[in-house]
Parts: sequence; C-alpha cells; structure tokens
Amino acid sequence: MRLDRHIAPALLVAAMTAVSTVWAAPFLWTLMASFRPDSFGAAGMASLLPDFAPTLANFRLALESGDFGLYYLNTTIVVIGILGVQLVTISLAGYAFARLRFPGRDFLFYAFLLQLMLVPPALIVPNLRTIVDLGLYDSLAGVMAPYFASAFGTFLMRQAFLGIPRDFEEAAAIDGAPWWAIVWHVLLPMARPALVAFAIVSVTAHWNEFLWPLMVINDPANHTLTIGLATFTRGAEGAKEWGVLAAGTLLVMAPLAITFVAFQRRFVESFVFSGIKG
Amino acid sequence: MHVFPAQTINPSSRSKRGIFAGNGSRLTAKRVLASLGMTGLAAATALVVASSAAWAQTKIDFFFPVPVEGKLAREMTRLVKQFNDSQKDVEVTAVYTGSYDDTKLKAQAAAKAGKPPAVVLMSANFNVDLKIAGDIVSLEPMLAAEGTTREKFLADFWPALHANATVDGELYGVPFQNSTPLLYYNKEHFKQAGLDPDKPPRTWAEFVDAAIKLTKRDGEKVERYGFMMPGTYDYLGWLMSALSMSNGGRYFNEDYGGEVYYDTPSMLGAARLVEDMIHKHKVMPAGVVEAGGVSTSFFAGKASMVMLSTGSLSFIRDNMKAPYNVAFVPRNVRNAVPIGGASLVMFKGQTEDSRRAGWKFVRWLSSPEILGGWSRFTGYFAPRRSAYELAEMKTFIGQHPDAKVALDQLAYAQPWFATYQTVAVRKALEDEIQAVMNGKKKAEQAVKDAQRKADELLRPYVDQTALKLP
Repeated sequence: MRLDRHIAPALLVAAMTAVSTVWAAPFLWTLMASFRPDSFGAAGMASLLPDFAPTLANFRLALESGDFGLYYLNTTIVVIGILGVQLVTISLAGYAFARLRFPGRDFLFYAFLLQLMLVPPALIVPNLRTIVDLGLYDSLAGVMAPYFASAFGTFLMRQAFLGIPRDFEEAAAIDGAPWWAIVWHVLLPMARPALVAFAIVSVTAHWNEFLWPLMVINDPANHTLTIGLATFTRGAEGAKEWGVLAAGTLLVMAPLAITFVAFQRRFVESFVFSGIKG
Repeated sequence: MHVFPAQTINPSSRSKRGIFAGNGSRLTAKRVLASLGMTGLAAATALVVASSAAWAQTKIDFFFPVPVEGKLAREMTRLVKQFNDSQKDVEVTAVYTGSYDDTKLKAQAAAKAGKPPAVVLMSANFNVDLKIAGDIVSLEPMLAAEGTTREKFLADFWPALHANATVDGELYGVPFQNSTPLLYYNKEHFKQAGLDPDKPPRTWAEFVDAAIKLTKRDGEKVERYGFMMPGTYDYLGWLMSALSMSNGGRYFNEDYGGEVYYDTPSMLGAARLVEDMIHKHKVMPAGVVEAGGVSTSFFAGKASMVMLSTGSLSFIRDNMKAPYNVAFVPRNVRNAVPIGGASLVMFKGQTEDSRRAGWKFVRWLSSPEILGGWSRFTGYFAPRRSAYELAEMKTFIGQHPDAKVALDQLAYAQPWFATYQTVAVRKALEDEIQAVMNGKKKAEQAVKDAQRKADELLRPYVDQTALKLP
C-alpha cells in the first residue's frame, strides 16, 4: 500500500517527462542548431546536446537576409488590428446570439457556425476579389479584413455569456443601465477568461499565417514575418542552411514564446475557465 | 472636385508617350476644365496632379519565386533595381512569391481577382497548364512588333528548351534559369572504396556497383549510404523522369498535353532501380528524404553519391568541404535528362502600356549579360548560347570544371514534363513511387496505379480534345 503511494506519482512524473521531452525536442533542436557553427557540414547536426562553442553568426546571417524590424512591425500591426476589431465584433455578436430574442436566431447562429467548416484555401480567390473591389489589395488592411468577424470567437462569447446568470444583468437593469452599459460593465468583465483565450488563439494563428498574406501583399514594405522568413527558407531545388533557418525561425517565434512564458499563469487560468484545451 | 480633373487625364496616355506627354496632357486637362467652367482652384489642382503624374512611369509587378535560397532573392531584387535605374519608362516592383507552386497559386488568384501581374518567373513546365486555363498570353505579337520570328528568337536558346517555351506552336515563355539533374559524388569516398575518383559511373550497372562498394555498414546499421536522392513532391517526379528517360523512355507526350507514359517498361525499370537500391541492395535509405536532407548528408559524408539539380552547384561548391566532382546521370539505354527551371511568362488582362513595359523587362532580363551573371551567381545554366561567348563566362567555365560537366550534359537534355493539370498528374506518380520507397508497394503495381490515376486526371482534357470526334 505504502509502496503504491510512492510508485504511482513517480510513474506519472516519468510519463510526463517522456511526453514533454518528445514535445520539446524540435524546439531544443532549433535552439541548438541556431547557435551551432557550420551547421550544414558538421556530423553532429542532429545532436541535441551543446557540443560546440556557440556562435551568433547564424542570427547575423538571418537578420541580414531580411528587414526584420519592418516584419515585426507589420506582423504586430496585423495581429493587433485583427484582434482589436474581432474583440468588438465577437462580443456584440455573442451578446446578440446569447441574450437578444429575434426570429431565426438559432438558425442564423448555426449558419454562422458553418463558416468553421470551410477550408481557408477555398476562399482565396473570392476573398481576394473582394479585397481588390474594396481597394485594399497590397495593404495590411487587406490582410486583416477577412478576419474581422470570427465564427469561433462569436461561438465562444455566446457560450461565455450564456454561462453568466441573468441576475447580474437584472440588477443592473433595475438601476436603469442601458444594454451597452450592461455589456461593458457586467458581462464583459465576467467573460474575461473567454476573451483572453480567444486572444491567444487569434494572435497565434495570425502571427503564423503564411498563405493569405502572401496572396495579398506585393510590396516588400508590407511583408510580414512569415513571408520574410520564407524568402530564405523555402528553397525548392536547392539545399538548406539549417543554422540560418533555425535562427530565423527562432526570431519569428521568440516574441510569442516570451509573452507566453511571461504570462503563463494567466493564460492557463483563462483556458481552465473557458474550457478550451491548448 | 479633385477627383474629376484627375480622371479627365487619361493615365495611359501619359506613360504611352513618355516624358513629353506631360505638356500635352496638361494642356488637355486645362482646356477641359476651362470649357467646363471650373474654378481657378480646381484648375490649379489639376495642374499639380497632371504635372506630377506626367513624369510617372508605367508601373508593373514582377512575381518571382525563390527556388534555391535566400541570397537569390536579394540578387533578384538588385537586378530589378538595376533595370529601374537604367531607364525611365518602366518601373518594376519585384514581388517575392514563395515556392514555384505558391507562385502559380498567387499569380492565378491575382489574375482572377483582377490584378494580373505583368511578368512572372514561372516554373517552366506550368506553361501548358496556364495556357489551357487561359491565364497567359502568346508572345508572338511582341516578336512580330520587333520584326522577328519565333524561329529567329529561339535560335540562340539551347534546343532542349524550345519545347517548354512553346505551347501549340506559339511562344509563351522566355527561358530564364534552367537546370538538369546531376550526379554529385565524394572523391575521397571513391578512393576509400577502391574506385577511380576520375571515372564516375556511366551506366546503371556501374552505378549500382559503385553504390554497393561505397556503402559502409556496421552490422545491420548503415553508416554511410552509397546513394541518396530527394523524394519530395516536385523533385521526385523530376528525378523519376530523368531515370525513365535514361532508360529510353519519354515520360510524357511532348506534343500533346493529355498523355503520360507511366505504365511502360522504361518507367518500370526506373522504379525497380529505386526499389532495388533501397530494399535489395540497401545502399539508399528507405523513406522520403527532403532535398535539404540529401545535401546535408552529402556535406556530412553520410552519402557518397547524390542526385540533385545543377541549380545547387553554387551552394554545394560553397559548402562542401571534401573534394567532390559531378557527372552525368547514369544511363541504362541512353544518356538523357529533363530540363528544369523557370521561364518568364506574361499574364492576360494587361493594358497595352503594361504589356509593352513587361516585354521590355523580359527582353532586358533575358539578355545574354544578365543571364550569364545570374548563371554564375546561382549555378543554373544560362538558356542562351551567346551568354557563354562572353569573356566573364569563358573565364568562369575555365575555373569551374563542374559547371562545364553540367553544360555538356545539356546536349542530352529533353523537355520537361508538362501536361494538362501538370502538378496533380505528377503527384499521381510521386505518391506511388513514395510508396515503393517506403516498402509499401512493389514497383510493378506502383506504375500501374500511377497510370490509372493519371489517366483519370487527364480524362476531361482528353475527352475535349483527342477523343472528341466528329
């Protein structure tokens, strides 16, 4: 009996360690490769252990290969721009679907959810046409526009609002608060975990997006991180400079990774609250 | 108010007549405004708009993929800047567009959305597909305007490139960067294995024999493979066509986009060669290896012979520490390799001005000097024979015997696989060969299944053409 009590947690720890090692291996490798000198010739290329004097040469080469300052700026504009508009649209739409009564509400909601089933590449041409008609071709606004409304976010906010007891709103209504004040002062603060969870999903998705920005953007001044990275990683016929590739990849993912580590506790809490698994 | 005068000045009339158009259009604008009784303020605005616009050039977009590595993107951007600085009529924006496949996707999507790029550097075997889809224009009118003919224009280009440049007897693409598969080998390994490093294998028999001798084992574990080649999409289809052509095959019908020859003895032999090297002789790793993995293994001395594009020549020259050399792709029946690379095409839906501007840019990019410089920078061979008459090029070939071998192999080059639905039809074969590489299928079954799938994909086109009877 006593033995069991000690063995079970030990086994759990061992299992968790094994899983997290497998999960972390690519990141570790990227980290090692980016600091490894001479990364294409060395026989220890595949090694995860630091068996070399670290060098920053790969980072220098990667930074020289593209205007990273500009890419960071553009990607940040896109990601924040999309999220800013999304937070407004999904809160309002979520509120409408959760609280307002109007004919065809549920049908409309399910029709809205259908959007989740469409594969994004199928929408490239129609979306691009709309972007051209709106005069947003080759602009960051054009990259953002199709994402201003989010079916997933609307669904998430509707569920979050439905989970809040009506008593709170009724109390505010008795005090004479109009609907928008109820949303702003009562519902949104209580739905914060859902908002944070959605923000993480949205920011990560658009930070890493490649195909759509590639379709919309022509001017190098509007390039985002993923396109900038691809200019020196997407070789079709040739060989790869692993070290530079790894360094570039690290540069792209660093801001998100650092943010996540810094606010880890908060993020995990909001996922627990909102019921999403990362 | 601002909008109206700006519109009366036809933007195309400006650039068409170049710098001197300024006065003309300014006068027109003034007269139009005066006759309409506009206020002085509006007229002044129009003057400002007109005179600043009078110097504007025809602006066109040029889409280009980065087929090898990042420094090529920088070099291409530099070339475009050089063109823009060299003249005043045309300003080209160089737009990086990802891989060859991404470039096709983006160019076609942009065309459908009403923003067709003027010039695109497109994988040379997409021309048939793009022409059938009605996306690209015939370049014959531009040749006619110059008072030349297709035959005269193409005479300077290597004969192997002509087929992929033309569709249905008309010029659709101007070759820009071209390649063939090439066998790279490690000379030190040859010496260690008792092979003559100056006599690379020429036939399949010598090739398999060398691969067996070069493979180093420690019990069951292979420490060094005799041979490796990329097995990923695009590359694999290209290399399989090289092997089937070396086996006397044709791979596809050069004159008709509705036929491929997968279920043939020549392709079966090629598939069996790959199968045997992996599963029987065990001199090549099983599974699909990516091109980057192949070159990395070659650099690290983990593979003694590799089959890669001539487009990788510069990269390998820069990074290979051990002495290496290059050789023709070994033959079973004959020496033959497909060409690869990209050519410049022009999209439909351009104004007369941007078409003219685009052609001017195409002509500049495909001049012997530029092609020669690009070839030395990348390792691709220059499509024009006259590029090799230039002094810099002669010096370069003298200094780099490996580039000379790649050039010599051109005498045996064949057109590149191009059909209706090129990519899907190519994948039909690639999926099956990958199954062979993974040991999930036998070569006989694989080529049969590949043929069946390809025929299904080609059916709509075949029904519309060869099987459409009166």
